[in-house]
Amino acid sequence: MRAEVVIKYLGYVLLFNAVFLLISWILSVFMDPAPTTALLFTALICIIFGLFPLVFSANYDSISFPEGIIIVVAGWLITCTIGMLPYIMWGGEFTLANAFFESVSGFTTTGSTVLNNIEGLPYGLLFWRSSTHWIGGVGIIIFVLLILPHAKNARITLLNTEMSELSKSNFHYKARTTIRILVVVYLGLTLAETISLRIAGMNWFDAVNHSFATIATGGFSTKNTSVAYYNSPVIESIIMLFMLLSGIHFGILFGTIIGSKENIFTSKLVRSYVIVMFLGIFLVALKLYHDHFYDWWSALRYSSFQVISVGTTTGFATADTANWPVFTQIVMLYFIIQCAMAGSTSGGLKFDRVYLFFKALNKQVKFIRHPNAVFSLKIDNKLISEQLERQTMLFIVLYVFTLLVTTTLLAAMDIDLMTSFSAAAATLGNVGPGFSRVSSMANFGNLPDLAKLILSVSMLLGRLEIYSVIALFTIRR
Amino acid sequence: MKRKLKSKLLAGFMLLVSLLIVAGSISIFEFLNLGKTVSSLIDNNYKTIVASRSMLEALEREDSGILLLMLGQWERGRGILEEADSLFLDALELAKKNVTEKNEQAVVDSISDAYHFYRSKWQMPIVDTQKEGNITWYEHNIHQDFLETKGFVDDLMTLNQNNLYEEASTLKDKAHRAIMPGIVAIIGALLFSVLLNFYINVQFVNPLKRLIKAIKTHHPDDRLLETNIRSEDEIKELEREVNKMIIRYSRKD
Repeated sequence: MRAEVVIKYLGYVLLFNAVFLLISWILSVFMDPAPTTALLFTALICIIFGLFPLVFSANYDSISFPEGIIIVVAGWLITCTIGMLPYIMWGGEFTLANAFFESVSGFTTTGSTVLNNIEGLPYGLLFWRSSTHWIGGVGIIIFVLLILPHAKNARITLLNTEMSELSKSNFHYKARTTIRILVVVYLGLTLAETISLRIAGMNWFDAVNHSFATIATGGFSTKNTSVAYYNSPVIESIIMLFMLLSGIHFGILFGTIIGSKENIFTSKLVRSYVIVMFLGIFLVALKLYHDHFYDWWSALRYSSFQVISVGTTTGFATADTANWPVFTQIVMLYFIIQCAMAGSTSGGLKFDRVYLFFKALNKQVKFIRHPNAVFSLKIDNKLISEQLERQTMLFIVLYVFTLLVTTTLLAAMDIDLMTSFSAAAATLGNVGPGFSRVSSMANFGNLPDLAKLILSVSMLLGRLEIYSVIALFTIRR
Repeated sequence: MKRKLKSKLLAGFMLLVSLLIVAGSISIFEFLNLGKTVSSLIDNNYKTIVASRSMLEALEREDSGILLLMLGQWERGRGILEEADSLFLDALELAKKNVTEKNEQAVVDSISDAYHFYRSKWQMPIVDTQKEGNITWYEHNIHQDFLETKGFVDDLMTLNQNNLYEEASTLKDKAHRAIMPGIVAIIGALLFSVLLNFYINVQFVNPLKRLIKAIKTHHPDDRLLETNIRSEDEIKELEREVNKMIIRYSRKD
């Protein structure tokens, strides 16, 4: 393994972060009474550490798989560490544990916060907070690959490392084209939502920040009470639409735009994803209405927003779900674990794997009845290899195991079961809010520092889809 | 691109120096901000709080002076009243010049109006009039105005005390912001030193070692040195020159 190659690519990652730090600082200069020098200083650190390897190292056209793994995992770790510097230097509610948690939550697009007074932050820092979502949404490595002028082979290796097998399905293009499609769809959605929210009455600053958080399926709001602050069905509808779209495979979205056969109207997977989501909304609304929480219209309004929000791993809120009936919480817990589609910006287990799981289950049942028959698995007319099927089943087991271990560790700190389990599921799935002490209108600030650290690791594991981290520890020099 | 060893090393050190300069500049800027906050605390709030205390003290003394006049002690009573009046007006003038908070102007104006009304009451003769020893007159005409003026002064003091507390509570954060760039720069410089050391090894020491080893193990039958040096600097140039030298000598032989 060539350390200088890894360091050089990490330099690119730092330089990319510096761009957004500088934008945040410029905003701070114009919008805040006292500009946030913490942003400028962190940007300069990124520039200095990012430029240094470029001065010393030669260009490398190819990188090995172990190098790719290390670049991706270390890239995320360095980004999260650098991302916490503006928070730490700002102070206030940001202790070391809080700053790291907020940074990891931002970059992994989890959207869990430790802050009680979000509106007390300066504009520059609020923008940086939302930017961490946007950078992390499609993956910082993807952005870096887009701007790299050389290294065709390195691009393929890094893309294979950053994206899971499932995410790569529906992308039948070369690495560079796939990256371009991802970024174009990402930019297009962000722009469309920003303009829509502005028309709906948000100011430009809030519109941009909420778009960043929606398209990245993050969930950081600029308001203490999240989207509930606006109390606007129009704004909620726009955000819901874009949350749903951001939870769909970007390759399928791109296919819809260019009029390809593989589009959101023909994909069985998308249809199933939407049906399951609507079923969840209906069940939650029915229970809320039945238990006299709201009238039918309000029950539908709040359940739609909350189910789509957790089901796409965004995490915005329009109601305090901690007070909702246990049945609705259980339905939403299912969505917190299931999450949205592979190839989107959402995290977690992914709907595709759950869908594949039930298909594989069906195949096994058929196999019991006809032991000598040969069955194949297909999703959207695409044959699923035995290898991918096995990998998916193993991933589900590994995911549940990680979830249980995290819950147990939190429970060991005398945190109640609902808080422990929902916090573990919400962070591993990069969803954001859980229930009880970490519900949609509460925050993670009240948890012990060690719990925040464990949950930060959980968020990173969820974003890196566990396998990459395991692969990292199995690399030999 | 061809980069010389000297420029590479210089670039490395320049980046390190720039990190420290920026950290130092930001710390200085934040400390200056901190200093400004402290001085604005003194200017904006503390001076007015002191003036308010003086006004309260003056009002208490004036109240004593009035009581002395009512007891027929004209000379002592007038002396105290004039001294307290001068103290009050000086303090009020200071408060007028130091209006910095929202709603403070309105409170200062209320003090001024209330005091001048109160003052007009005790400036009239008291000794050898019906007012002397008349406690009912004192209670209805003097004491009510005294309490009202005192109430406005209290409001001014509370307003400034609250602002002083709020500003002082931000001082902790400002001090934190002044110190943090320094701490981050120290950690950054340490990491940078490790990185610089790594690159010196990778870019200079290891290629030189490889070159030395290749020269030492070079066999007359071998045509060229194989060092696998990728950089385009003086070390690569040295390798090329050694190879040219080998070719020249092999032709001579």
